[in-house]
Order: sequence, then structure tokens, then C-alpha cells
Amino acid sequence: MPSVEPQCQRCHSRLEAEDLRCPVCALPTPRAPRPSVDRERARLIRCNNCGAAIAYSVEAQAPKCAYCASEMHTETQEDPIDQAEHFVPFEVSPEQAHEALAAFLGKGGFFRPSDLASRAALDSLKPMWWPGWEFDAKVEATWTADTDAGSHRSDWAPHAGASQFVLHNILVSASRGLTLSETQQLSPLYDVAKAKPEPVGPPGAQVELFDVTRSGARRQILAAVESMAREQIARTELPGRRHRNLRVAAALSGLDTSHYALPAYVLAYRFKKKLYRVVVHGQRMDCVLGEKPVSWGKIVVTALVALALLVIVFMLIQAS
Amino acid sequence: MNLSCQSCGAQLVVADTLRTASCPYCAAPSVVERPPSRDRPPPTFALGFVQTPRKAQELARQNLLRRSFWAPSSVRNASVEELRGIYVPAWLYSALAESEFSATIGENYTETETYTTTENGRTVTKTRQVTRTEWRPLEGRHAEYIPDVIVTASSGLPNEELEQVEPFDLRGLRRYDDALVAGWISEEPSLPQEQCLEQARAEVQGLLKQRLAAFMPGDSHRNLSYSTRFHQEALVVCLLPVWVLALRHDPKAPPLRFLVNGQTGKVYGRVPVSWVKVSLAVLLALLVVGALFLLLKSR
Ligand SMILES: [Zn+2]
Ligand SMILES: [Zn+2]
Repeated sequence: MPSVEPQCQRCHSRLEAEDLRCPVCALPTPRAPRPSVDRERARLIRCNNCGAAIAYSVEAQAPKCAYCASEMHTETQEDPIDQAEHFVPFEVSPEQAHEALAAFLGKGGFFRPSDLASRAALDSLKPMWWPGWEFDAKVEATWTADTDAGSHRSDWAPHAGASQFVLHNILVSASRGLTLSETQQLSPLYDVAKAKPEPVGPPGAQVELFDVTRSGARRQILAAVESMAREQIARTELPGRRHRNLRVAAALSGLDTSHYALPAYVLAYRFKKKLYRVVVHGQRMDCVLGEKPVSWGKIVVTALVALALLVIVFMLIQAS
Repeated sequence: MNLSCQSCGAQLVVADTLRTASCPYCAAPSVVERPPSRDRPPPTFALGFVQTPRKAQELARQNLLRRSFWAPSSVRNASVEELRGIYVPAWLYSALAESEFSATIGENYTETETYTTTENGRTVTKTRQVTRTEWRPLEGRHAEYIPDVIVTASSGLPNEELEQVEPFDLRGLRRYDDALVAGWISEEPSLPQEQCLEQARAEVQGLLKQRLAAFMPGDSHRNLSYSTRFHQEALVVCLLPVWVLALRHDPKAPPLRFLVNGQTGKVYGRVPVSWVKVSLAVLLALLVVGALFLLLKSR
């Protein structure tokens, strides 16, 4: 096996052992030193299997032996689907998740049916780990934009700048089971420092697998970095109050990605023959996301009362 | 250079510019190893051939037929005289490009303008909205990685020709292994590294011109100038698969040289123009114009 530096020499991003080039800056990874040649010689490449001379076959797209048909492996850019290596443990038990649901339904709100907490029936409660990437990176960003600061006759004046910032412990969801808005609300509440190499949680907890190849994952992560850089520049770097035409060129360094499995409960409850979905955080039972039915009766009554009030006010004004 | 075949011991005569040889007696495919030098380091990467020789011929002939309208009719019967799969050495360049730019940025605004015009014989004053541009200077910096610049390292295949069959799909990159070129023609780099480095930088400059134009804010810009510094440059040799065809259509004319990208199948070749066909077409056009003119005149 070739010895590969774990880090890119140019941008210090972490490399996988199979990488031929850095995924961020495209620097070729060093290869294992080959025996030095001190004088010219002609060499036959021999088949590992039968010893006959081997040649590259365009049909096989690999070096192939014409006698025994065995193919020779060459190093290429691997693109596997990586799986979670860090499991954040469950700290909320199924019973607590159930309790969290009851508390969530009880908190009602005026337009909720008053019998919601008592009549809602739990349909299913599934503990699961959803997949997410966590990354660190340093971004050197150069940018231009038009803002209202320093504008003369036109509403806009051009500005340019450079800034660098550090992105630390950023979570990007790879889940298909949870929605983007759900994962965005769950993410900040995980204590990833507690992650373990093996899953720890209630029996029957499912692990949702990553289904993106390594190159696809890197594309999604780079896109996330770019959009975070844009947001950050728009929020903190631009002078003035309004902007347009924000253009950002980003040079990343030190990108380090880990694959996480993050705990959550997906619950479904039934109320008046309809199913509603709720997600409870696997580490914090006070974080409950989901849908609640509304009481149409209450809404209609409120609307009628409001209408009646309006009519009375109107008649009063007319009468005076 | 004289070397011996490991299979039968016969003398191999290998040109200095080639990396591979096949034994004239036993046909065994040898790969030549030489002490590396600055202009001729061992290849780092290679892209394997994907297009079969038959497919390459087909693609080249289809391409020729599609573009044969103005060509001598003999090209329709062109036959493949020679077909060679060559691993062409190229330099794969990457760097962090940091540019200081200055430009004049145009910001549009609308203004209400009064003007006079004549309406029904009377002079009236009216107003209208006009868009004007305010020009503001801007200076700044632009930095990004430039990943995949390819320039030829072969004096046999000029860069302009290589560009015609680019792009190559670098996701198929493999770490160079002698077995990848065994049985094929593989060239050694024949252009000095310094010259290729300059070529690569020039190519990046051209690319940056577009990148910077797109980087400018405002509604328009002019006077964009920039100077670029290249940091952490990397330059490695990558072997690229190219089919080179000689198509013979006229025994008296030289054969047509066609290139087919051995990975993607993209074709490049010059199709000759038949001056007889062009002259006839021009004459025909003149005749039609003349006839029309006479017709119109006689009315
Ligand atoms: Zn890198
Ligand atoms: Zn064999």
C-alpha cells in the first residue's frame, strides 16, 4: 500500500487513504517512493497469476492477461459511500419521549382542540440515528458587492473586501427521513463530544445509512461552506444596510469532515382518525418538533364573535 | 538506444521519445524505465483508453462525413490508413491564484429629463425617464484555487490541437502504473518544463479574465486590469489517451490527420475545402442574383 499523508500539503485538508488528489485544492497526494532507476532498461509487466506478459486492454479498461484473462488492479480515485464512525448516544428513553409528546400536546394554545392531550393516541415511536456530516474549515474569502453605503446619484456603490473566518463543528444533514427544517432545529442541541464508536441506545433503534458517495458528500459540504461564507459576509462584512450582487471567491483550508449518527425519536399519534408526526430530540426531551391539529370549531366561533363585534361597532357608529 | 527484450533476449531499438516498445521478434510489450530528469519526471497519473479502436474510427469518419459539404467529394470514401492509440504526456497544473484587480464599475440610475417636442403644430414640454450610468473606481483582491489546467508536454501534439479534444474527465484519473501503458505507444515528455509552466500560467490568466469579469459588482464594468501571483504551484505529468488517425481520401493528397479523445470520444480534424465546389457555388449565386436583377429591371 502507498503511504499517504493524512493531510494535504497545500491546504491542510484531511485526506482519505485512497485519495489521488486533494478534494479541496486538487494537489496530487504523494505516492510511495519507487525504486530508483539508475540506467535505462526495458521491462515486461508480468501477470501475477500465470507470469505471461500483460498489456492494457481497452475492452476491460484495465491491464489484462491475454492468456489467463486475469485483470490487474490499478489505483484509481475511489468513491465509496462512507458510513457513520461516531454515534451520539441516546439520553432520552422511549418512555421520556412519550412523556415529551404528552407535554407537547398539553401545551396546546388557544386554537388547539381542548381534548387533544387526552384523546391523542400514540401510533408509533421509533428511535433512530440520522446521518450527518460534521466539519471544521478555515475560509479565506474575497468578495465584491454593491451596497447603499457611499452611494451618490445611483442607489448603489461598489465595494470589495477580504475576510477570513473559521467554521467549527458545523453539522450538515445527509438524512432523507427527516426534513431540512427538522435537522436544522435538532442540530444545535447535540452534544457531539459524547459520541462513541458504537451505537448506544434503546433496543431496535434504526441507523439511517448515508446514501451519498464520498465525492457527492464533498460537493454538498463545499456548497454548505460557500453558502455559510456568503451569509457571514452579508451579515458582518458589508457596509451599509442593503446590498446586491454579492460575489464570493472562497479558498478553503483545513477541511476536516466526520460522519456522525445523531439520535432522535420519530413519533406518530392519531387524533380523530388522522395521523400526525412528531420528532423528539434524542438527547434533550424539551426539544419537540411537530404538527398539531387545529380546532375548527374554535376558529369558527372566534371568527363569528369577531364579526358580531364589528357589526355592533358599525351599528353604534351609524346610530351616533 | 539499444535494450534487450526480457522475453526473447532480442535487441530492442527504442526511440528516445518513447516509453514503450514491442519486440519485433516475439511481440512482447516492454515498458522502458529511464533515470528521471527535471524535464522528464516519471508520470504521476494516467487516464486509460475507453474508446475501442473500432469506435474511434467510426467517430472520426462520422465527424468527417458530417462536415464534408464543402470538401472534395473524395472524402466521402476516405479510408483509415493508419490508426494509433498514443498516451500523450501532458502537465497537470494547479495553484492558488491571488489577483489584485482594479476596475471602473458602472452603477445605473434613472433620471427624469425634460424635453420639448412639437405636437399638433405646437411646441410642448414633456418629461421622460432615462437610465444613466455613474462610474465608480473599485480595487480589490480575488483568490481561489485553480485545480485542473492541462498543457501538452509533447512536441508532437501542439497545445492548440490538444485543447480541441479536451476536456478529459479527470474523475477517471489513475495513479500511473507501467501496466497501464504496456502494449500501447506511450511518449515521454519532449517539451521543457519551464516552457510548459509558462503556458499553464498563461492559460490560468485567460481563465481568470472570465472569472474576474463575473466577479465584478455593478450593472457593468470597464477598464478591468489585474495582476496575478501564483502560490503553491504543482506540476505533474499525466498521460492522456489519444487516438491518432490518418484518413486517405485522395492518392495524390496527403492523408487527413484526425484526433479522437481516447476517453470521451471527442473528435478533432481539419476537413479540406474544395475550391471547385466553392467557386461553383459562388458562380451559381452570382447567376441567381444577375437573373433576379434582369427580371426586376425588365418590368
Ligand atoms: Zn488541498
Ligand atoms: Zn496470465
